[in-house]
Amino acid sequence: MAEPRRDFVTRLACAAGWSAPLLGLLGGTARALPKSEENDLAILEASLALEHEAIAIYETALQRNLFLAGLRTYAVEFVGDHKGHRDTQIGLVRQRGARPVSPRDDYDLGRMRTGDAALRRCLEVEIAAQRAYQVLNSQIRTRDYLLTAAFILVDEVRHETVWKRVLGVKIY
Amino acid sequence: MKRGVSRRAALRSALGALALGAYPARARAADYATAKDALEAIEGFEAGVERFYLRLDRTTPASRLMIASFRRDRHRHRAHRDRIRRRLGVPRPEAAAASESASGALPDLREALSSLVYAHAEALPALGDPVAVSLLLADLVDLARHLTVVDLWIEAEADRG
Repeated sequence: MAEPRRDFVTRLACAAGWSAPLLGLLGGTARALPKSEENDLAILEASLALEHEAIAIYETALQRNLFLAGLRTYAVEFVGDHKGHRDTQIGLVRQRGARPVSPRDDYDLGRMRTGDAALRRCLEVEIAAQRAYQVLNSQIRTRDYLLTAAFILVDEVRHETVWKRVLGVKIY
Repeated sequence: MKRGVSRRAALRSALGALALGAYPARARAADYATAKDALEAIEGFEAGVERFYLRLDRTTPASRLMIASFRRDRHRHRAHRDRIRRRLGVPRPEAAAASESASGALPDLREALSSLVYAHAEALPALGDPVAVSLLLADLVDLARHLTVVDLWIEAEADRG
């Protein structure tokens, strides 16, 4: 992964349509947001956008049969997790009377044509999701959403760790 | 691949229920009233995990590198909890010496680690302080990684038969 971690995480967050205050948190240029229902909703929308992207990456890689047999099982498990996270957060957005963000039309997946490219793209989005949930969770005001986001973070770390292991990156 | 963790399954059910706006408080394994309760629970689960490390360190030389790495993380986690206690004015409890676990079974270690991970998640709402939440989240990320490493170890053992 030639691109520094902070750069690609920020790039993915920008592409996902994150607002400037959330990008500031992610990039370390802002320390805190005022705790409000509006900011909880902004965090939900930002997280949901990344979940949509993760689902698109996994589904495309699975459709193109890019995972080796032993790794396909992980990919199926992880896309299932992401769909669960998406649905949970869509439910939370709707509970707040808002309209959830939809998936983008294009995630620039045309060049993802090899198993290695798919694994690296999966790892990239998992690192972004892990970083996003870790940074944003401390800004969440609502007790139940904070707990939900923490459970989601545990899944994201699992996904990231498995792909790192597969790609030969140190995991302890 | 299958992760046999009843506690996690219960939490996952709760997560699903939350999406429908029907998150039952009783479905949670723990709902800590205070930061003191939450931190004490974490320290109890952490001691439970350490009991497995003591045993594995003695009986399974191949695990020593991993355990040394996990203990370095734990050292940082304790420093984080000390900071949280200072911020929130929570007194530090007496540390008890851990004794070796009777079991060296990886699924039992996995269950102990899983309890520690989810105690961190469940502690967050009790802290009420963004800096304290950030510190505990960083520890949660480390511990979720440890849990996955143990999962991968269990899977590798199963593949070897």
